[in-house]
Amino acid sequence: MDAVWVPLLLSLKVAGWATLLNAILGVAAAYAISRWRSSARDVVDAILTLPLVLPPTVLGYYLLVLVGRRGVFGAWLDRIGIELVFTWQGAVLASTVVAFPLVLKSARAAFEGVDHQLENAARVLGVSETGIFFRVTLPMALRGISAGVVLAFARALGEFGATLMVAGNLPGRTQTLSVAIYEAVQAGDDNTANLLVLVTSVTCIVLLVVAGRLVPPAARGVGEVYERRAFRREAVGK
Amino acid sequence: MSMQITIRKRLVSRDRQFALDIGFESDSHRIAMFGPSGSGKTLTLRAIAGLLAPESGRIVLNGRTLFDSESGIDLPPQERRVAYLFQDYALFPHLTVAQNIAFGLNHGWRNPRRRELPPEAAHWVDAFGLREIVNQYPSEISGGQKQRVALARALAPKPDIVLLDEPFSALDPALRTRMREELLSLQANLEVPMVVISHDPQDVEILGDHVLEIREGRIFGSGTGKRHPPVYAPLPAHVA
Amino acid sequence: MTFRTLPFLRRTACVGAALALTVAAPSAFAADLVVSAAASLTNAFKTLAEQYEHAHPDTKVVLNFGASDVLMQQIVKGAPADVFASADQTAMDKAEAEKVVQSASRKDFAANQVVLIVPQDSKLGIGSLKDLTRADVKRVAYGNPSSVPVGRYTKGALEAEGLWDAVAAKGVPAQNVRQSLDYVARGEVDAGFVFATDAAIMPEKVKVAVRVPNRTPVTYPIAVTTQTKQAQQATSFVQYVLSAEGQAVLAKFGFQKP
Repeated sequence: MDAVWVPLLLSLKVAGWATLLNAILGVAAAYAISRWRSSARDVVDAILTLPLVLPPTVLGYYLLVLVGRRGVFGAWLDRIGIELVFTWQGAVLASTVVAFPLVLKSARAAFEGVDHQLENAARVLGVSETGIFFRVTLPMALRGISAGVVLAFARALGEFGATLMVAGNLPGRTQTLSVAIYEAVQAGDDNTANLLVLVTSVTCIVLLVVAGRLVPPAARGVGEVYERRAFRREAVGK
Repeated sequence: MSMQITIRKRLVSRDRQFALDIGFESDSHRIAMFGPSGSGKTLTLRAIAGLLAPESGRIVLNGRTLFDSESGIDLPPQERRVAYLFQDYALFPHLTVAQNIAFGLNHGWRNPRRRELPPEAAHWVDAFGLREIVNQYPSEISGGQKQRVALARALAPKPDIVLLDEPFSALDPALRTRMREELLSLQANLEVPMVVISHDPQDVEILGDHVLEIREGRIFGSGTGKRHPPVYAPLPAHVA
Repeated sequence: MTFRTLPFLRRTACVGAALALTVAAPSAFAADLVVSAAASLTNAFKTLAEQYEHAHPDTKVVLNFGASDVLMQQIVKGAPADVFASADQTAMDKAEAEKVVQSASRKDFAANQVVLIVPQDSKLGIGSLKDLTRADVKRVAYGNPSSVPVGRYTKGALEAEGLWDAVAAKGVPAQNVRQSLDYVARGEVDAGFVFATDAAIMPEKVKVAVRVPNRTPVTYPIAVTTQTKQAQQATSFVQYVLSAEGQAVLAKFGFQKP
């Protein structure tokens, strides 16, 4: 059971931290981009969305080049005592980068969908710009943002390629569920592999259902919902 | 209450060009701006509220300069103490009626609590008979109620002036008549000056002491009292 | 009329057609010989394959490198390999047990030595396996013993000296021997176990610290798979590897005679 419990808890820990980081960074970046008036902003958006398009192993490689001991920032990180390669923090870094675009895109769309008239109303009523963000913009965008955050969590939970590159496969320390499954298959241990796959699937389903409940309902009052019913084109009976 | 306004702005959208060139002065508490759709009425109100930046001009209310392109003054909307009633009310859908009305009383980061009603807000809730719907959401109330909530929200922070953008356009004629009378008595009881814009001549007749006719971005009719400027008169010279 | 001015559906159809063409590109050659070989044989077998193709122009050799156990698993699950070259007897034994290789064709074709390497600029002064238990040696890479031959040799050697538990505590398991080499070359670990032939590939990045004595001889077996559709070609390739020319190539890369 240890073979299942340890990777499961590690996966949840890594995915949890990665999603928290992404919720903050993604929302901030999305808000900044949505308010930015410049043609450069689409370029910046594209660059920030790259992790979604690049193969995870390529991403892992880039991260390694940046934070590895001989990497661009590696030496500096080493000096201040931060170790990322072969640590769970490195796994968090990999998962964060990989899932970031999911929050960014959802949040940006959500922010751009907020009625500007409402923000203007708040302005005229004297509320500061920061106040407007927390009292009007964010609550109205919350539904879209939440959907993005849930996706990001699921992606982080299943992250494999980049994690393997940066954090390696150290049992108990960086061997997340996906990596554990990979190792079990490599070693020909189908029983463990099957068990791990089952646990991962069940966990993901439970999480998605819970997350679905937590997503706030649509901002009230966007018109009446059309109710489909069994239509009839001819009179019934006499 | 005195008001001196000059606003000049060019707007370009795709292949359309629109030039706003407004200038007028008034000492009246009840100003009505009258003109067809697309004539620039809403743009004028937005400029006064600070939501639109003129290219040049001056906006002075009661001796207080809100905008002056020559001296570089441009107050943000938050500081203008101007109330704005939007054409479609712009009520916050995620807040209750009570929270909407109390919204402008606190300029910080937190919304008013759902169960509390500050006294300034309570005063308007009672004045407009909104007690019963105080905990409802905007999607659950009628058009007339929405209008009153929007008005209460605008008045609660004690503004220096209230701008009303086609306040009755979404209401049926009977309701419109009643609301017009309510607004009339409100105008009589409050010291707050109002600027109403409308394309309905009756609104103008009842609610305006100083009537400005606006067409294609310029003012070319200005009258006081019960004079009716002719509807859609031919274009004369610019009147200051 | 440019691409951008086309109506949306036509644009989508164009892109779809372009994608379909890339996917429809012709795949495997008629006389393809698929050789699954241990990761440590990468450089040697690439050269061998070239020379073989030169001598047999109608054959294309397709190489597939990885950890021996993983390759064996692939073959068991149906991968279309014709020849299997493993880095230790255990992996080949497993393959024989699963009946995916022809026992009659099994032959040893090379030998190797396990070495402990350190980054070229390492100042730790590691001179013996025991040094790995020092506190200033923080990370040691080796192939994952459950699926990589060099990992099994390493574990065997360390167990013989009673050092396995201490080293495993600071161990970084690698997916194959080349990854272990990469970890050392990058300086991500303080030391790592690879084959002498692997260390020889990167003399500017790694240096040999200890030549590990082997309890079991490090010999490489090669065999023809049972599912091969080109038994003749496969056997021919195996014979080439065992021939004087093949052995010369292996020797050039540091392999020893079996």
